[in-house]
Amino acid sequence: MDIIKINDLVKRFPVGKGHFTAINKINLSFGKGEFAGFVGPSGSGKTTLLNIIGSLDTPSEGSTIVMDKSISELSHKQAARLRNMYIGFIFQTYNLLPVYTVFENVEFALLLQNISASERKKAVMEALEWVGLTDKVKSKPNMLSGGESQRVAIARSMVKKPEIVLADEPTANLDSKNSHHILQTMKTLNKELNVTFIFATHDEKVMKYLNRIITLEDGKVVSDKENKS
Amino acid sequence: MIKFIFKGILRDKSRSLLPIIVISLGVFLTVLLSGWIGGVFSDMIDVNANFITGHVKILTRAYAENKNQLPNDLALLDVEELITNLNSDYPDMEWVKRINFGGLLDVPDENGETRAQGPAVGRAIDLLSPDSKEADRMNIVNSIVKGSIPAKQGEALISDDFAEKFSVNIGDQVTVFGSTMNGSMMFKTFIVSGTISFGTALLDRGAIIIDISDAQLALDMYDGASEILGYFNEGSYIDAKADSVKASFNTKYSSVDDEFSPQMFKLRDQEGLDQYMTLADSMSGIMIFIFILAMSVVLWNTGLLGGLRRYSEFGIRLALGERKGHIFKTTIYEAIIIGFIGSVVGTALGLGAAYYLQENGIDFSSIMENVTMMFPPVYRAVVSPDLFYIGFFPGLIAMTLGNALAGYAIYKRKTAQLFKELEV
Ligand SMILES: Nc1ncnc2c1ncn2[C@@H]1O[C@H](COP(=O)(O)OP(=O)(O)OP(=O)(O)O)[C@@H](O)[C@H]1O
Ligand SMILES: [Mg+2]
Repeated sequence: MDIIKINDLVKRFPVGKGHFTAINKINLSFGKGEFAGFVGPSGSGKTTLLNIIGSLDTPSEGSTIVMDKSISELSHKQAARLRNMYIGFIFQTYNLLPVYTVFENVEFALLLQNISASERKKAVMEALEWVGLTDKVKSKPNMLSGGESQRVAIARSMVKKPEIVLADEPTANLDSKNSHHILQTMKTLNKELNVTFIFATHDEKVMKYLNRIITLEDGKVVSDKENKS
Repeated sequence: MIKFIFKGILRDKSRSLLPIIVISLGVFLTVLLSGWIGGVFSDMIDVNANFITGHVKILTRAYAENKNQLPNDLALLDVEELITNLNSDYPDMEWVKRINFGGLLDVPDENGETRAQGPAVGRAIDLLSPDSKEADRMNIVNSIVKGSIPAKQGEALISDDFAEKFSVNIGDQVTVFGSTMNGSMMFKTFIVSGTISFGTALLDRGAIIIDISDAQLALDMYDGASEILGYFNEGSYIDAKADSVKASFNTKYSSVDDEFSPQMFKLRDQEGLDQYMTLADSMSGIMIFIFILAMSVVLWNTGLLGGLRRYSEFGIRLALGERKGHIFKTTIYEAIIIGFIGSVVGTALGLGAAYYLQENGIDFSSIMENVTMMFPPVYRAVVSPDLFYIGFFPGLIAMTLGNALAGYAIYKRKTAQLFKELEV
């Protein structure tokens, strides 16, 4: 069963009087538990595609079906609910909330759902265990290294046990040791929890971990290959 | 969620401190100024009531027409009977008679020749009856500079300025020249028992204060008085009550056809006090409105700046699946919490300062030396119950309004657009 189906997707951005086509007739589908990634030159449309899958943006033409929901037909509320229930995001700049502790940053994702405090605590501690940060529960983001911050961001995206995690250049700000560390973590989570991961990346190190590499150029898919690692 | 917001506010000083300071300051000023204005106006009304207007005042119709000339030939007669009637008609009020007169004050030398002379404004009040409250009402004992209050007929208090200028000492004699009620020449000699200064030029200039019985005798005003003043036992002026007393009195006692019939005026009818009271009533309202407006603008801007600073936080929360409406709502909650804290702090400080000014007051008498209107020399604030909320709600509203305006700008953006701008 595919959990993401993209059909003839076109995304145009208004530029001046005309428009710029960032995604040009893309057809793709992803099954549950994939560990896939978009690669390609800068400006090829990787981020745009991730944002549409994540319901942060909408298609101009064609359709994108995520968890049986058509992104273009969702209301604001429904899109927020889809993100809240099924989708986790990881960004290049970790985007932790600076005034909150590690624990609270991870917990925040659960505050939007009706989960009791004790269950939240259990889930947050479990997520921090996955990324190996149980000893930093009370730290503030500015006390963490880049690698630690990104691991908190992974815990935050994973704590609600989403179906899909979208990671946009997650290693861009990390050195190679930390990059490998978080990639191993994500790969383990992928295997153990059967969560679908989709990356957008330039990073060779990331590509080595991917099971499927989709190459974009000028908003088009130029190759879509299995990758044995 | 509320707990989460609360933590954020507490830890992010830039999100809370500036707005709290702005609100505290605004609320503080609102409360203090309201207390101050309330105090000043009510002081002014009290002083006017005590010295000049009463809460209500009775004059003959003819006297009222010419009252600036102190026309004692048109004064009230059969005053005792009228006061007896008033006491039974209005048992919860006190009625006092007074005589005001003009003349010359003459200071003789040891040979009885005129040594100095000046215009005099005489006030005759009931100083000698044991149960009279008049001396208290006019704050006489506290205003005496030298000597003491008259203890028997034939004694007088004179203005300290006058006594200084003409070196009049306690125990000296002064003579008042004037005209009697019937228009014949009047002169009467008094022994100066003390000198007095009220701190207000209007009251101090050439003042001589004597007992009412002396004035009745000297001015041939047997059982007469220039005016009868009525005071509510509640102590302060109540306009509605004054209206009803005035209406019932005038219906019963006053007649348009008889110019010597008594006519009642309420405080608000006299000496331009109506304008002051109207001003007093609208002043707080106007002030609060201006403060809300000013604070909202400031807070709107800090809200916008704060919002910009927190763009990435909003972006993250969007990505985590929070609805824009919910983000907007939580920023309003934040505003309410911050507004509440600021308002509490501002109200507390404002009440404290108002209380201080209520207890201590500020002395303006030196500034007011040449003012001829009836001003109290020391201004005090009054801590009234409305001060507890008068600044509180404006503070809360200003903060909420400010944040709502700022939040609305963010709320109206499309999610995708917002997310782009957030640069997450
Ligand atoms: N809101 C927008 N308005 C106009 N053009 C846009 C907008 N968003 C993206 N684009 C354009 O669409 C194209 C694809 O952008 P996108 O961010 O998807 O590229 P990318 O593959 O993620 O690049 P990078 O590797 O640099 O992150 C770019 O040319 C970009 O300028
Ligand atoms: Mg990109």
